[in-house]
Amino acid sequence: MTEMRWDVAPGDRPSIPASEQNASSGFLVYTLGLLLAVILTVTSFWVANTSAIWAPGVPAGLTVLAIAQMGVHLVFFLHITTGPDSSHNVLALAFGVLIVFLVLAGSLVIMANLNENMMVHSELMNLQMQR
Amino acid sequence: MTLLGKLDWSSIPFDQPIIMGTVGSVIVVIVSVLSWVTLKGYLPYLWREWITSVDHKRIGVMYIALALVMLLRGFADGIMMRTQQAVAAGGAQGYLPPEHFDQIFSAHGTIMIFFVAMPLVIGLMNFAVPLQLGVRDVAFPTMNSISFWLTASGVLLTNVSLAVGEFAKTGWFAYPPLSELQFSPGVGVDYYLWSLQISGIGTLLSGVNFVTTILKMRAPGMSYMRMPVFCWTALASNLLIVAAFPVLTALFAMLLLDRYLGFHFFTVDAGGNAMMYVNLFWVWGHPEVYILVLPAFGIFSEVTATFSGKSLFGYRSMVLATMAICVLSYTVWLHHFFTMGASASVNAFFGITSMIIGVPTGVKVFNWLFTMYGGRVRFTVPVLWTIGFMVSFVFGGLTGVLLALPAVDWQVHNSVFLVAHFHHVIIPGVLFGCMAGYNYWFPKAFGFRLDERWGKAAFWCWFLGFHLAFMPLYMTGLMGMPRRLQHYDVLSWQPWLLVAEVGALVILTGIICQIVQIVVSIRHREQLRDTTGDPWNGRTLEWSTASPPPAWNFAVLPRVDELDAFWAHKQRVLAKQELPVRQHAYQPIEVPKNSPVGFVTAFFAVVSGFALIWHIWWMAGFGVLGAAVTLLAFMFRTKDEVEIPADEVGLFDRAHPVEVSP
Amino acid sequence: MNVAVEMDAVRRSALLNLSEAGPAPKRVIAGFGFWTFLLSDIVMFSALFASYAVLAKATAGGLTGVQLFDQRNVAMETALLLLSSYTCGMMSLAINSRRYLATFLGAVATFLLGAAFLALELREFQGMIALGATPQRSAFLSAFFTLVGSHGLHVTVGLAWLVLMMVQLSLRGFQDVVVRRLHCFSLFWHALDIIWVLIFTIVYLMGVLP
Repeated sequence: MTEMRWDVAPGDRPSIPASEQNASSGFLVYTLGLLLAVILTVTSFWVANTSAIWAPGVPAGLTVLAIAQMGVHLVFFLHITTGPDSSHNVLALAFGVLIVFLVLAGSLVIMANLNENMMVHSELMNLQMQR
Repeated sequence: MTLLGKLDWSSIPFDQPIIMGTVGSVIVVIVSVLSWVTLKGYLPYLWREWITSVDHKRIGVMYIALALVMLLRGFADGIMMRTQQAVAAGGAQGYLPPEHFDQIFSAHGTIMIFFVAMPLVIGLMNFAVPLQLGVRDVAFPTMNSISFWLTASGVLLTNVSLAVGEFAKTGWFAYPPLSELQFSPGVGVDYYLWSLQISGIGTLLSGVNFVTTILKMRAPGMSYMRMPVFCWTALASNLLIVAAFPVLTALFAMLLLDRYLGFHFFTVDAGGNAMMYVNLFWVWGHPEVYILVLPAFGIFSEVTATFSGKSLFGYRSMVLATMAICVLSYTVWLHHFFTMGASASVNAFFGITSMIIGVPTGVKVFNWLFTMYGGRVRFTVPVLWTIGFMVSFVFGGLTGVLLALPAVDWQVHNSVFLVAHFHHVIIPGVLFGCMAGYNYWFPKAFGFRLDERWGKAAFWCWFLGFHLAFMPLYMTGLMGMPRRLQHYDVLSWQPWLLVAEVGALVILTGIICQIVQIVVSIRHREQLRDTTGDPWNGRTLEWSTASPPPAWNFAVLPRVDELDAFWAHKQRVLAKQELPVRQHAYQPIEVPKNSPVGFVTAFFAVVSGFALIWHIWWMAGFGVLGAAVTLLAFMFRTKDEVEIPADEVGLFDRAHPVEVSP
Repeated sequence: MNVAVEMDAVRRSALLNLSEAGPAPKRVIAGFGFWTFLLSDIVMFSALFASYAVLAKATAGGLTGVQLFDQRNVAMETALLLLSSYTCGMMSLAINSRRYLATFLGAVATFLLGAAFLALELREFQGMIALGATPQRSAFLSAFFTLVGSHGLHVTVGLAWLVLMMVQLSLRGFQDVVVRRLHCFSLFWHALDIIWVLIFTIVYLMGVLP
């Protein structure tokens, strides 16, 4: 029965039983994650406040940085890998991300569209008031 | 009376004879049942074996019992509405005043969706999924008990609203601004919100439980492509629960904040946006449709394969279609509000996705038909429900495709055409499926079959009554009749509504047949006894253990090498013409220990829910504290499992040989 | 059952396929179950985010994000939460090698950082309310307080959970069930940090863009 293998628990580093995970390599992983996260956070705050970047590009830049930082958290703190023994965890996560994307993107598109069609525009409102 | 918040004697509608009569008889029934149970000395048994049970089979049975009782309540609401509409034509006002009629249609929808369809589906999954997977329980047995009792709390609160206060008058989806404090100052919407919030947490937890069970706990050798189809559909359904119910929780939390603390999410003033409620409600609402119907599809698949004596046609396409529906169901929600002002391009997008989702459903229908084709079909009660489903559901689905066209939807939206459509998919789809599953798994749960004759009578009454009740609504819908009318002036609708009333009476006959069926079956249980554990010549693992199964389900976890493992095993045994050697070194088995934590938590949930509805703040605090202390005590529990000695396991196992029938 | 007996006799060959290995160990079940729950929690936040995004401009003549948000405060909150995630990671390492002292130290650090984060958040809320920017003022503020407040509520629950786990650890030692719960706690804590990344980006940074 030695061949029995399961997916690792989410948050465990793959292929190594939790009790045998090498503390020093673990320390390195977390520290590296912290460093990367700090760099990304600082960059985010800089991007939001600088005038060196073309202004309409700033939201896109912030989005990219946020996604990158979430990736860093997932990989270095939650030890999500592409290895076969964390496929369940990754698939569940992918399903969650898909749902989050659908809820956010769908709601925003629908609501923007409804607002555009249904709201009385402020200019029109002004016209009515001037009359 | 600040000590009791908004609650006082005027909250009880003494002036309403219909309500008071109902409440009186319900109280009489409850008191007599309780005193019978107490006098017979069944209370300790109930407490030990059912209320504190964490056994998935027991919890499943309790879910189904709860749902069947609530079906009576929901149906009573339904037939009251039909009767009102049958008589309130022209100048007549009928027998229900508008504010009562409004509560009835809101309660009917809420109860049928949340407290009939959901518990039926979750109950059947609870009962069958671990058995089909060949394991001993769900992933988190105590959490399962908490889920059930929280659902029961929601049920209780909803029913309390009948006697104390009122229920929502807003329709079952409680759209703001009507459901905001400004326009619904009573406690009705609060009853709605808190009971659904509490039961919603239960549902979410059971979704988490089943996803984990199916993905992480299967008998050795059961790879994904060897899972029974019902387990696949349960997986899809529970993934949707995990993905959809949090949206409902967040949404109701926002409406509660609006109502209790004066926030402005959906109000008409201060920038609130009521459309956002509609949008998020259907983000949950459309997946909910598939949460209900997918497990029913799974039941139909099991029933069709078993009673046709063939393996399911196109197993892989069935799995693929299920998972496709699971994802697609999250991309169609705008079709519930085509008329709210989205542009043609957005409407067209969601119209097209709505039609696409019909494709995998069509695949399934063909798979069932091809499974039956060339098979030796036994026309048992579950098969009748299945065939009844196939005939009606295709039609109901087609009206859905029709409604998916935004241009058509604009014509018939909010009319009884829509009412006819969704009853036409939910009753044949979900309810017929659950009835098939109820008849199919009943012998596994109790060790005896349900009476066939009364079962068939019940089916025919339901089938005919359903069509009589809802086909006329398509006609009046096309004639322009809006839904939720307390009275109307167009006399040409009345004949159709009278036919619908007759249909509702025929359904009532069906329900009476079902009650008789269960009484007759219990009385004749010795003739209907199933000693083999396999009364239908089944294909999946639940039939390989005794009926009813022991607390540990399987003395030894089965080893699975192919799809339809039990069937294949029986074929091998028959080929060898000998019974396998029945000797095994039994191991002691650990089963999860019973726990009152679910019941006690739910008790406190009811207390705080009731207190919040009536603004009794000290009592709400007490309830929350009580629930927290209960969970804390559970966290510090030292013993999670009790061990069943190997001797006992062996004794039971040898006493219940599973015979292989040819 | 006889099925089982017969199946025992059938090939007990090497189980190469992951999905055929039978029921998973408890740590994996508990971890995965909690992971699924966290996904549902994140979906709940996505509904709150969607509401915030839709209502962000609905200030109803009240104060706007540009006027209210203090980037220095947000940067400090972010730093505290990120550091607490790191110390939580250190705690996980200590648990895996069953070291009591290091576990307690990690927990204390995580708790203090989390509590400091909460304190800063509450101070921010207090300041806003003092300016008249209450959640009742406008839809934008309702959505803001609900979204950020939900995260804060989660942090509070996390802190209480951490204290409870330390009590359990000192009473029971590294029992399997205690270790499993601590593991779930660390998943929870890291997930909260991920949600915070979204909050500071969408609410605070994008909210003050011209």
